[in-house]
Amino acid sequence: MTFTSLTRRLLVWFVLVGLLPLVLLGYLTLRYNEQSLRVSTLQNIEQLADKKAQQIKGYIVERIADARLIARSTVTKDAIAQLSHSYQSSHPGTPEYRQADARYRSYFARYTDEATMFYDVFLLNLQGDIVYSQKHESDFATNLLAGPYRDSGLAEAFRESSMTLESVASDFEYYQPSKAMAAFVAAPVIREGKLLGVIAFQLYGTEIYQVAADPIGMGETGETVLAKWVDQQHVMIITPLKGKFESTLQPVELGKIPNPMRRALSGIRGNGIETDYRNQQVISAWRYLPELRWGMVVKMDADEAFASLHQQRVFSLTALLLAMLFAAVAAFYFGRKLVVPLQELASGAEDVAQGNLARRVNEQGADEIGLLGRAFNHMAENLQALYRTLEDRVERRTQELNITNERLREEIVEHERMDKAVRLENNFRKEMINSLPGIFYMLDTSGRFLIWNRNLESVLHCSSEEIARSHPLEFFAGTDRVLIEENIRKGFEVGETFVEAVLVARNGTKTPYFFTGRRIDRNGEPVLVGLGMDIAERKQEEQELRVASIAFETHEAIMITGPDDRIMRVNKAFERITGYGADEVIGHTPHLLSSGKHDPTFYEEMWQQITGTGQWEGEIWDRRKNGEIYPKWLTVTTVRDADKRVSHYVGVFSDISQRKLAEEEIYSLAYYDTLTKLPNRRLLQDRFGLALAASERSGSYGVVLFLDLDKFKTLNDTLGHGYGDLLLIEVAARIKSCVREMDTVARMGGDEFVVLIEEVSSDAEEASQKVAHIAEKIRSALAQPYFLDGHEQHSSPSIGVCLYRGRAVSVESLLKHADMAMYQAKESGRNTVCFFDPVMQQAVEGRAALEADLRRAVSLQQLHMYYQIQLDNEHRPLGAEALLRWIHPVRGMVSPAQFIPLAEESMLIIEIGRWVLESACRQLKLWEQHERTCDLTIAVNVSAQQFAMPDFVGQVAAVLRKHRVDPARLKLELTESVVLDDVQGTVEIMHALKGLGVGLSMDDFGTGYSSLSYLKLLPLDQLKIDQSFVRDITSDPNDAILVQTIIDMARNFRLNVIAEGVETEAQLAFLKEHGCMAYQGYLFSKPVPLEEFEALLGGL
Amino acid sequence: MKNLFRGKANLVVVISVAVAVLFAALLYSQSDRFKPGIKIGVLHSLSGTMAMSEAPLVDALRLAVEEANQSGGVNGAQIEMIVADCRSDAVYCAQQAEKLITLDHVQALFGCWTSDCRKAVKLVVEKHHHLLFYPVQYEGLEESPDIIYTGAVPNQQIIPAVMWAMQNKRKRFYLLGSDYVFPHTANLIARDILRINGGSVLAERYLPLGEKNFAAVASEIARLKPDVVLNTLNGDSNNHFFSALHETGITAENVPVISTSIAEVELAAMGASMPAGNYAVWSYFQSIDSAENKAFVARFKKRFGQDRVLDDPMEASYIGVNMWVNAVREAGTTDLSLVKTLLSQQSIPAPEGIVSVDFSNNHLWKTVRIGKARTDGQFDVVWQFGRAVRPAPFPYYHSRMEWNVMLKSGIQQPGAVVQP
Repeated sequence: MTFTSLTRRLLVWFVLVGLLPLVLLGYLTLRYNEQSLRVSTLQNIEQLADKKAQQIKGYIVERIADARLIARSTVTKDAIAQLSHSYQSSHPGTPEYRQADARYRSYFARYTDEATMFYDVFLLNLQGDIVYSQKHESDFATNLLAGPYRDSGLAEAFRESSMTLESVASDFEYYQPSKAMAAFVAAPVIREGKLLGVIAFQLYGTEIYQVAADPIGMGETGETVLAKWVDQQHVMIITPLKGKFESTLQPVELGKIPNPMRRALSGIRGNGIETDYRNQQVISAWRYLPELRWGMVVKMDADEAFASLHQQRVFSLTALLLAMLFAAVAAFYFGRKLVVPLQELASGAEDVAQGNLARRVNEQGADEIGLLGRAFNHMAENLQALYRTLEDRVERRTQELNITNERLREEIVEHERMDKAVRLENNFRKEMINSLPGIFYMLDTSGRFLIWNRNLESVLHCSSEEIARSHPLEFFAGTDRVLIEENIRKGFEVGETFVEAVLVARNGTKTPYFFTGRRIDRNGEPVLVGLGMDIAERKQEEQELRVASIAFETHEAIMITGPDDRIMRVNKAFERITGYGADEVIGHTPHLLSSGKHDPTFYEEMWQQITGTGQWEGEIWDRRKNGEIYPKWLTVTTVRDADKRVSHYVGVFSDISQRKLAEEEIYSLAYYDTLTKLPNRRLLQDRFGLALAASERSGSYGVVLFLDLDKFKTLNDTLGHGYGDLLLIEVAARIKSCVREMDTVARMGGDEFVVLIEEVSSDAEEASQKVAHIAEKIRSALAQPYFLDGHEQHSSPSIGVCLYRGRAVSVESLLKHADMAMYQAKESGRNTVCFFDPVMQQAVEGRAALEADLRRAVSLQQLHMYYQIQLDNEHRPLGAEALLRWIHPVRGMVSPAQFIPLAEESMLIIEIGRWVLESACRQLKLWEQHERTCDLTIAVNVSAQQFAMPDFVGQVAAVLRKHRVDPARLKLELTESVVLDDVQGTVEIMHALKGLGVGLSMDDFGTGYSSLSYLKLLPLDQLKIDQSFVRDITSDPNDAILVQTIIDMARNFRLNVIAEGVETEAQLAFLKEHGCMAYQGYLFSKPVPLEEFEALLGGL
Repeated sequence: MKNLFRGKANLVVVISVAVAVLFAALLYSQSDRFKPGIKIGVLHSLSGTMAMSEAPLVDALRLAVEEANQSGGVNGAQIEMIVADCRSDAVYCAQQAEKLITLDHVQALFGCWTSDCRKAVKLVVEKHHHLLFYPVQYEGLEESPDIIYTGAVPNQQIIPAVMWAMQNKRKRFYLLGSDYVFPHTANLIARDILRINGGSVLAERYLPLGEKNFAAVASEIARLKPDVVLNTLNGDSNNHFFSALHETGITAENVPVISTSIAEVELAAMGASMPAGNYAVWSYFQSIDSAENKAFVARFKKRFGQDRVLDDPMEASYIGVNMWVNAVREAGTTDLSLVKTLLSQQSIPAPEGIVSVDFSNNHLWKTVRIGKARTDGQFDVVWQFGRAVRPAPFPYYHSRMEWNVMLKSGIQQPGAVVQP
């Protein structure tokens, strides 16, 4: 039995001690590896999914942008207008439609060739008819709202695009006419603020399939799956599946779709280890693509991703099994080796026990078992010897005992007598000990209580029997126990000892005691005697002191002064905040810390309160050792002794400068401009309101100046915002230097500043003079050169000035007035000062109203074209100059001199100019159909802004193409100002216009500064002599000579000449005589509406 | 084996080791509880004229935060919501934003209603490159790398509303709005759309926020007989406007009103005075019939009371928190630049349907719905787009540059108050 149990135990211990840690270690390593592999694989698949999602999104967004661009091209606009028109007026089969169709076919072919993205191009009219298709599939000429394809992606794109007026993309769906998957992008086509229709493009899915099929980074089992909703219960997989090819493009029930795709399709984004459609564990990431409403899952088999982990597992398991086998074999072998000799020993012992004392065992071997064998044999021998001597001794002992018995009886009598004396002595000692204060004890070397007094019993709550049985250490706990043990030992070794320890009574009461111990000799044995004193009260006091000193070291500074106000003690926080060390301040008064910011009365009041109430609390500014002034929150408390006399003052304070800064930051953010640190609009309005109220009380005038830097925007655009900011900071500083400290300089935003000056004078005349002086000072200060960032920079302000007195006019109006005056200053050439004048206000308001009306004039059809006839020498009509008239329902006829400059300023001239061009061409087309009018030209005035438009030539070309008129019959009249701004650019544009075949005429010739060199450069067809010269040719010889010169010059340059403003026969005769070729003026007709003009032609 | 555990001493050792292991495990499992919370700031007006509309948004945010905390918080920490009362004052609100960012160290801000407020807070948020979620439909023409706009832009509200009316043969419009940025810009766009499609504007009127007297407006509508009124009034003026219409005898049948700025919450607060049959345009209505939405409504009512209602801006607030939580969880950190990058790729199944952040402009793909008012303060959805609409903060028909020029020249600034 013993044999097997010993072997088994060895086996178990081997396994436990040797293998268990191994198994645990192996398990933990595997687990850690698995987790980190899992995290990195998931991250990898996430990145892949994001990349692919971004590629697909990017592809769709680019196509949407393409559609938007193409929809804005003039050709597209023309195409959709013409084709819609042809489609509606005649069926697609007719020649008229085919002609229009053919015109654009080659143009749109560029978007469908091999290199581009689109499969087909469609033009859709407002009703949803497909009026044009590049591929002419069965969808052509059907209606998308009611026809057979009303549920297609194309129809969807059409509806959304026309409803939101945005460029949009549809889903990828099976498109029946093309018998393929297709998506559509569509963009609304808008011309002159009217919706003409929609242009749509059919997309291949190739690009997206390529993104999906891209295997980079996905391993062998990687796969990208794309799917879309069919209806609420069905889903369609769009990409071919590696493991299940046949399910692609078939509706599948939602329930059969694996989790990742289901989540992706419901808009959730995420990643994880999931089961896919083949029931394989996969690492996957799922994404929703809003552009297509598709779900995307990027995944990879877990087996592949975790292949290395699998190998590692097999390896670890094998190693573990081998180790276990080895341990078992070793345990068995050692067990055997140990057990066989033991078994022999056991049987030997059994024999000896039975009385066979001659039995011996094998005693070979140097190990413990050999030793055991030898000892066993030795024992057996001794046993034999012992047995022999024992019998002799018993006999001898019996005789000796009889003699001793007699002697003992005599001794007993003597003993009884002495005992009585000892008992008396003992009682006396006991009484003495009991009368000692505190505890008395006596211990022997083993720690047993020999003698003790009653106090000990009562303190320990023990009976004397219990104490006699106890060891002193039982009455101490924890470290005290060790301490006492040591001290008892020390007492015996050294002879004397003291110790403090907590005594734990039987009932659990704990009392700190101070013990003494002294070694004395008692009957030749050393014993320890001593006393114990209760020190509970003293301990309590010590504890309180310790708490107080810890509390003293808080994060708040503490300073304790005596009644004479001299500092006695400070803590660490005090040193940190003030910068003074304790030794530097102790003995000084707190006056050392004062900043000098508070006047003596402040301190007086503070002390008054301290003496009165015993306490003071408040914010106070002090100075640190490094000179820095800072705010702190101080509490002073008086401490009085038992006699109610002041013994100490305690000052507690914390540094509140951080909090102060934060408060100020928030305040300044709201009321100050961050760049220049000047007050902002809000603060200005507050102050202005107060200023008005003050002015009402005092009756004196104040003034507000509105400043704006000339051409600041150009500077900002060319040199960058950073540079502009530097300039603004400098400007702010210069303005401030020109005014008094009490005046407000504010920044309104951008490059606009406002200066508010109060209390200028109570006399209006004097006030304006003073103000003019200040404004001029500011103007000249700002016009000085700036040296910023190593550059010299010039700038100048325009300043508007507005005086105020009292509250008659509101802050807003005053600012507006100053603003108006500033604009007036800008208009009168910049770098000037201008005072507000009520007439100015009326003019500005009147102009604003006019501008608002003008904005609506085009759409409300208030603009009209008047025509003034142009004739040749034989009085045959050559054509007309088209002149713009605005007939306003209330204002009546508004003079072009009044509204044209306004239109030019507000850029409305571009829209109006386009309208004029359109009208002129439309008219030319109409005239083309009548013999009498088919050769007439129309001259149209072109403004400088129109001319400067980036695509002016393209616009003219588009209009000509649209109306299909002979370009030669359109004449554009340019003024000299057009040319003067940018000669090189103008010449290029004029050549381009010339290339279109359009005629060019120089209007108002002679009034500007045109030089001959320009004239040589410009590809003109005609010069127009200005009416101001014509008016006086018969009376003013200078004008006569000038006109003569112009005509001669034109002849030399081979230009023809027309004179305008011909009013009398005399003027006509003069011009004719000097070689002029064409005329225009009231002599023949004033500018008239179309009907009258046509009537005039009939009359000629 | 018995031998192993022989003796009392062995048993004590085994038991104490087991207890120590259990205790360590318990400590470890509870360690998350002691992590400091992640703070977010809420900027809404709980007092002043906007409180009626804005206060419920705080509840929607709270619901989202509580749900996120129940599902484990973010990155092992609980979300703490610090609510600042903006007192219906944009400048004060910006100061609060500054405080939340610099002193409270919040990780994201959720808030603002009016465009004034947003523009003020935008400056602060952009100064610190911080993060704001803005939950209300607005006039567009804005884009910021530091703001996620979860409400609709014009091509998701105003433009489809006008187009829908015109498709229903209503071409003569009467434009009415409160006098501030949003109505002015909305009407500017509406006018453009009408011009593009051949409609017309009979009158365009603005009244101050909080105006009560609508007699003149109502009588002008009665006189002009427009096909439809496009109403961009904000706040309780709506109440007075509809009363005035009623008194003048104008009904939803002959002149329907399409409103852009009143939803269920305002109707409930006003006592449902919007006559049935008028229309509102939103992405979300409480009555949407989907499992997602029904669960959302049930959760909200369970938390805040059965009599409470939900509306579009509340749902947009709720979406904002959820998106933020998803992004922070995915980032595994609160690093703002990483969170913002992930935010621009988020999509979630929201009560209104799937919403996704457009990666190019930080606005949401949203569904467009038109609701017809019922007598009980709820709406029946009468029309909706089949799919979420791409956000286009700068409408198509002008280039981005042209819009910027118009913005600079101040076209959308509130002008003088116009009364008929």
